[in-house]
Amino acid sequence: MVDETMARPTSPVDIASPTLYLDGIPHEGFAAIRETEGLVWHPYGERDDNGFWAVTRHADVREVSRNPEVFSSAIGHTNLWDLEADALEARRSLIDSDSPDHTRLRRLVSRAFTPKVTRGWEGLVQEIATELVDGFIKGGGGDWVEKVAAPLPIRVIMAILGVPAADADYLVELTNYLVEGTGDNRSLPDDAYGNTTPTRLLPFNSPASFALFEYAEQMRQLRIEEPGDDLVSALLDAEADGERLSSAEFKNFFQLLVFAGNETTRTAMIHGGQAFSEHPEQWAALVDDPELVPTAVDEVIRWASPILHMRRTASVDTELAGTLIAEGDKVVMWYAGANRDPTVFEDPFRFDVTRADNPHFAFGGGGPHFCLGAFLARMEIQILLEEMVARNVVLQPRSAPVRLASNFVHGVESLDLGVAS
Amino acid sequence: MSDLVRLTVDVDRCIGIGQCELLEPDVFHLGEEDAISRVVDGATLERTRALELVDRCPSMAISLVGQNES
Repeated sequence: MVDETMARPTSPVDIASPTLYLDGIPHEGFAAIRETEGLVWHPYGERDDNGFWAVTRHADVREVSRNPEVFSSAIGHTNLWDLEADALEARRSLIDSDSPDHTRLRRLVSRAFTPKVTRGWEGLVQEIATELVDGFIKGGGGDWVEKVAAPLPIRVIMAILGVPAADADYLVELTNYLVEGTGDNRSLPDDAYGNTTPTRLLPFNSPASFALFEYAEQMRQLRIEEPGDDLVSALLDAEADGERLSSAEFKNFFQLLVFAGNETTRTAMIHGGQAFSEHPEQWAALVDDPELVPTAVDEVIRWASPILHMRRTASVDTELAGTLIAEGDKVVMWYAGANRDPTVFEDPFRFDVTRADNPHFAFGGGGPHFCLGAFLARMEIQILLEEMVARNVVLQPRSAPVRLASNFVHGVESLDLGVAS
Repeated sequence: MSDLVRLTVDVDRCIGIGQCELLEPDVFHLGEEDAISRVVDGATLERTRALELVDRCPSMAISLVGQNES
């Protein structure tokens, strides 16, 4: 074990406090941590050894992401709190696996998300985006979250998965409860949706996960009997090294898709809408030169940093940024910090649709866990922006966003925007 | 004189993310069946760009093979 008795710098800000995020990302706190030499130790929970190393510099997030043998996803948990072994096993998905399990699973599912497959969904995204943008204009603006940013990605992922339109609202309701599970106040009783599983065994500790698992199992049975032209059928049919997804793997992956294919892209679109409402000159630049849309997409994603952090756990004694890390220590990558690192991004607090060199880590810092849905997310945001540019939808701020108390998702519950076209 | 190099993909490391095909569609193709990236026969890239591709591969599966091909 590494000798940790030497004084280690402690984080100047409690970046793990969910309520801190009600006022937005604590950028000054992240700057203070980035500027501290080495890594800072961040207390978390009641005991000192529950704390974590806060990794906030771009180069360090990259280093952790790309060394999965040293910085494991399978040990402990990929969220801040540890899970007991049985809970970890019951919840295990792509996110909290290491090679070789991860490689096998990822290969099984990745063929459904290649750039080429994703482009096949372009027409679908276009259709939904057109309808929502037209509706927003017609209504003279309103809650950007409810009217555009939330329904767009959820309708896309539901259609791709092959979920009947009639069930979409139910799944949206469930994912909203999942996000709530990352905050401090949970409104669902443990036995909601007929849940009988101890909540500690469920993703996000939420009975909504139980309901999602039940739904996934129904879908699985249905599509095994009668395969369709949808992602669920493709996943059930996918084979790698003679193996298919097990029932448990499928359920966990379905849950991951419904959550990740929804909350993250929604969050990017929300912050994109807010950014354009507050920086009308950037919107004007985009309308003036629609060829800037692709760079604007990545700037929106960098600006939003939808997922604030992911955790790894050191599998051996190691060193990062000159700081000794002991086997078993939690190492938490704060993408929100890396995406404003001034050593990488020129004038990082400027929202700039012309930012061509934009190696943001909103999809992760590289390595095997790089966002599976990156192409889909980019395409959805690109089509949304193109539809808005085509109609020159000038968004106007009306009131401050109602933010979510979460240290994990940079979430916004509602955002009232006006529109002048 | 351009300094062209060839690249190779380690099929055991590739997990089909597709970043390479997105960046250089004429050089990399993901398999229709297995989503594993393969280098198009005879395809080359300018050295600086090739090194960038090596660096950008999230699963660190791309490396250089040849030098001074032309």
